[in-house]
Amino acid sequence: MSTETVESLPAEAGPIARAVADGVMPSRVWMYANYHCNIQCTYCLTESGPKVAQRALSPETMLAVAEQARELGFTDLGVTGGETFLMPHMPDTLAALSANLPVVALTNGTLFSRRLLAKVEHLAECDVALQISLDRPDADVNDEMRAPDNFRKVTQAIPDLVERGITVRIATTVESIEDNELDRLCALHRDLGVPDSEHIIRPIVRRGRADTEDLGVEAVASDLPSELTITDDGAFWGPFGPTVKDGVLDTDLLVTRTTLPLETPARALLGLLEGRPEGADSTLNIR
Amino acid sequence: MTTIARVELDQVPLLARPYFADGDPGPIVRSLAQVPELLTVALPFIGAALGPSAISFRAKEIVIVRTSALAGCRFCVQTHAVVALEAGLTSDQVAALQSCGPTDEAFPDPRERALLRWIDVVAGGGPVSDDERATVLRSWSDHEVVELTAVVGTTLMLNRYATALALPTAPEAVERLAQEGLL
Repeated sequence: MSTETVESLPAEAGPIARAVADGVMPSRVWMYANYHCNIQCTYCLTESGPKVAQRALSPETMLAVAEQARELGFTDLGVTGGETFLMPHMPDTLAALSANLPVVALTNGTLFSRRLLAKVEHLAECDVALQISLDRPDADVNDEMRAPDNFRKVTQAIPDLVERGITVRIATTVESIEDNELDRLCALHRDLGVPDSEHIIRPIVRRGRADTEDLGVEAVASDLPSELTITDDGAFWGPFGPTVKDGVLDTDLLVTRTTLPLETPARALLGLLEGRPEGADSTLNIR
Repeated sequence: MTTIARVELDQVPLLARPYFADGDPGPIVRSLAQVPELLTVALPFIGAALGPSAISFRAKEIVIVRTSALAGCRFCVQTHAVVALEAGLTSDQVAALQSCGPTDEAFPDPRERALLRWIDVVAGGGPVSDDERATVLRSWSDHEVVELTAVVGTTLMLNRYATALALPTAPEAVERLAQEGLL
């Protein structure tokens, strides 16, 4: 995260850099690398699954976003999907992105075969963290919301990645979790080599398939992170924005259809943020 | 009929929301809202060109209805024929504008006749002669001709947009035109 302050910015710093430095604009730019996935979680925001269209960003586009994000004054990148590692270029693309800014890449953690592990090994030398979903400490309960055999694959992949020196974060997405269950989950991620500082817990957001399945918390724009999010369909108010319901993209959190130059959606988002009344920030722990 | 999707009222993008504050803003805004950054630039311009200004409400509606008729835009003709009635034009005058034919009988005012000749020349395409410019400038000042010409151009843009995308006329507009015998 940025430690830059408005005072320490160079005089030529633009409005986005200043807004990031003073906390008006979130520091991270997200990219939806793709929408398809090898599994089909019950609470998926984007109705991702094996049969949906890829709607992928090309590596060239992703790199352009990263370069322009750095030039504009953003300080972090996020890559999500879909399952990001279904894109064969992803290991190399993550390395290239991280040459611009630190990257966190979300993955369901189910594809880390010996071959893929070899391909991602070089990410240990890059400023890249892989954020893997793990919701429950018990295989049957975890897999019920995600996919058969998900728990086994994830709990195998995490130490494999950690052993290779790759930073791993764990994201737990739940409607609710009992203290005892959370304690066992935390014990598990520590055993797998992931410290408490790299574990986030967040609620299910009632959008996309979660809405269809009657799951999660209702959230409006001000409840959701406003990190600029770039997709094949346009730029959105945060990674919870470009959701899909009944096969149709939601546009209620669309900012602009233009994604590059990145300054276009960034300035539009900044305009929305500056127009937001004071104290309108989220009260929900959605991240 | 194949037409273009218009954003649902619960799916209005963030930048477009001010244009929906009073409810359904109509098919032009609802379709343009699919590209919010275009909407937020286009609407102020369209509003400045077609909305209240130094040119009278009546003169602007003469321009819009006549231009739309010449461009063959059903949506714009029907929508603005109703507005033209509100601007004080008679049913006969609106009918004359819609007809694409002669208008002198319905419009005895020399200034409006000059305006109509100008609209027909500008909206008709092709070169515009010195004589035609001189004629309109005898009845209208330079800044007025600038603005009236911009209204013709803006209307033509919307004519092609509404025709290409098959935007539907509001049922209440169709009903009003039927009552006036203007359908």
